[in-house]
Amino acid sequence: MLNNRTLAVIKREIREKLLSKSFIIATLLIPVMMFGMIALQTVFIKMEGDENTFLQVAVPDANFAEKLQKEFDQRDFVKDGSYQIRVVVSDTSTFEELLKNAKPDMLSGKLSGIVQVPPTATIDKKLKYYSTNPNSRSVEGKITSAVNSVLIDNYFSSKELSQGDLNYAMSRVNMDGFRITEDEKIEEEGVGNRILSFLFAFLLYFSLLFTGQSMITSVLEEKSSRIVEVILASVSTSELMAGKILGSALIGVVQMAIWLSPVLVIISTSIFVLPPELILSITAGHLLYFLVNFLVGLVLFLGLYATLGAIFDNPQDAQSGNLPIMMLIIIPFFITFSMVNNPNNTLATVSSMFPFSSIIVMPSRMTLVDVPLWQFAVSIFLNIAVMFLIFPFAGKIYRVGILRTGKKPSWAEVAKWLRYKN
Amino acid sequence: MSALEVRNLSKTFGKIEAVRDVSFEVPEGGIFGLIGRNGAGKTTTIRMMMDIYSPDSGEVIFRGTKVGQDFRNKVGYLPEERGLYKKMKVLETLLYFAELKGKKGRSVEKKAKEYLERFELGARAMAKVEELSKGNQQKIQFIATILHDPEFIILDEPFSGMDPINTNLLKEIILEQKRNNKVIIFSTHLMDFAEKMCDSIAMIDKGQLILSGALDQIKNRYSQQNVSLVYEGDIAFLRNSGIVEKIEDFGNSTGVKLKHESSSQQLLKLLVDHNIVVKKFNANDISLHEIFVELAGTADDLSSTGGN
Repeated sequence: MLNNRTLAVIKREIREKLLSKSFIIATLLIPVMMFGMIALQTVFIKMEGDENTFLQVAVPDANFAEKLQKEFDQRDFVKDGSYQIRVVVSDTSTFEELLKNAKPDMLSGKLSGIVQVPPTATIDKKLKYYSTNPNSRSVEGKITSAVNSVLIDNYFSSKELSQGDLNYAMSRVNMDGFRITEDEKIEEEGVGNRILSFLFAFLLYFSLLFTGQSMITSVLEEKSSRIVEVILASVSTSELMAGKILGSALIGVVQMAIWLSPVLVIISTSIFVLPPELILSITAGHLLYFLVNFLVGLVLFLGLYATLGAIFDNPQDAQSGNLPIMMLIIIPFFITFSMVNNPNNTLATVSSMFPFSSIIVMPSRMTLVDVPLWQFAVSIFLNIAVMFLIFPFAGKIYRVGILRTGKKPSWAEVAKWLRYKN
Repeated sequence: MSALEVRNLSKTFGKIEAVRDVSFEVPEGGIFGLIGRNGAGKTTTIRMMMDIYSPDSGEVIFRGTKVGQDFRNKVGYLPEERGLYKKMKVLETLLYFAELKGKKGRSVEKKAKEYLERFELGARAMAKVEELSKGNQQKIQFIATILHDPEFIILDEPFSGMDPINTNLLKEIILEQKRNNKVIIFSTHLMDFAEKMCDSIAMIDKGQLILSGALDQIKNRYSQQNVSLVYEGDIAFLRNSGIVEKIEDFGNSTGVKLKHESSSQQLLKLLVDHNIVVKKFNANDISLHEIFVELAGTADDLSSTGGN
């Protein structure tokens, strides 16, 4: 099948892609977008938008007020001036008065809100927050943690515990991850590989959809401009289909390699000094697997997309037929999210070897856990097996569909095409 | 030996029987016409000849072997519905089509440029196809069909959707290829064109072959007892005459079928006696159109005067 005619088709596909604006833009823009998104996220996290918050905290007694005020004054958000917190003494009888007087200030925005620490809070730890915007999580987090430590302090101070015991009770549990691999050394795991896991999943997801869409467009163009019959006078349908798929797949892999090159540079040189929590612990071998896996995946999906384009006459109809294929891309993409909590869960392990889903799940999973070699092999082998299984049918549908025009065929009709002798 | 032999071709699509048991032979050299009205099965037959469709049964034999890639490489094919890649450049398009036929390199490029010059498109070689007028795009398609110097040229309804200039240009190309001893096969529903250009024909109706052979022999066979008539007046009286079997009005001319070949002189006398102004009286002559009507029974969807 790989003869001069197929090569001519491959060459044309590649040339057309390389000259198309959307391809050039996507190739250049995706890395910019990737780094841009990470940068933006960092900015957004820092920018919670709760600067200039002015709060009153009403507590039942002066002793509590003093301790709490001291506690707040030690906190960063008060030190850097983004929060101003005034602790006032107000028992249940005077609180209503306080609230009433403060209402105009709250409505005008001078006062962000009032936190009531009722006397019962020493028992049930329940606070009340009065504000025009009572659902602010960032306020809640900052207030409760400070109040809690004063409550704990008060509660245990009457029980003759040492300050050391208290500190121990109040400190939070912290867990650092260490990756066990075949290697001798055990490395401390940072968030770098989690980012990489998401990045891989996203790139595969985006590229499969993008390349697939352009395959549909290209087949539809050949079909609707009727050029396909001229071509079929020179090449067979399988040569044409193979040429189109291989041409698109090769260019897709090159594009992916361009997108991955920053990762390769980071792991193989010391030009970039990353903070330790961002260290990427993968190898060039992983990247090579990534590209091979992607090539197999592209060929498989492009086969489906080319068939889809051949079945329909126009982009609208093709879009409706696109849904099942999109599910094969979107569902694995979502599975990769489930791995962030436990990359070795059964769903992740199975779907990282299952045909179609492995194309997205496996590369994402291999960044999080040490995947045994046989699992890589199984994933690629199964995808190739599926290819051999479905391509004869896809080719047949393509062959019938590509010369067929007129009303939108039903799936039942498409199934009948398989019985045509052609 | 014939160049191409079509043997018992049949093809069905689901419940639709497009072609049933069609056989004919295309001789070496000359122009062969595949004739029939729209939907008769011409395109399906041609696609089977091109190996684009596989027949349900039957085969197409090219100089002794079944058609396949070898035959495809030797054919220039212009389908009825034809297109080009809009974004591709003119010269690039031509070279791509030649490459698909296994021809590439300097000599092909030189030839492509020569053709472009000849068809007054030399300056547009680097233009994108979409920048060309429809007529000029058709010229590109002609060039693409013959650039690789095929031995066979297969044209499916070549004159449909073509302006008079391109119609003449294509006729010129066809005749030139005929002079070069190429085999030209074209399908058409235009009887006039077929009659003027073809050396031999096959006639298809409702998916079945109704007639095939050398055109002059066919005409000889059907023209006996037939008179082709151009006149002024009312010839309704002929219907009651004992010597006439059938009258067919074709607008420009009228075909009169006699019961006996020998009574053509009698017919002329009858016309003169009834004061009919006879402008043309052609005994033993028959148009392809008349033959078709006689065989297929109806002239619906058939044009004898050109135009689509």
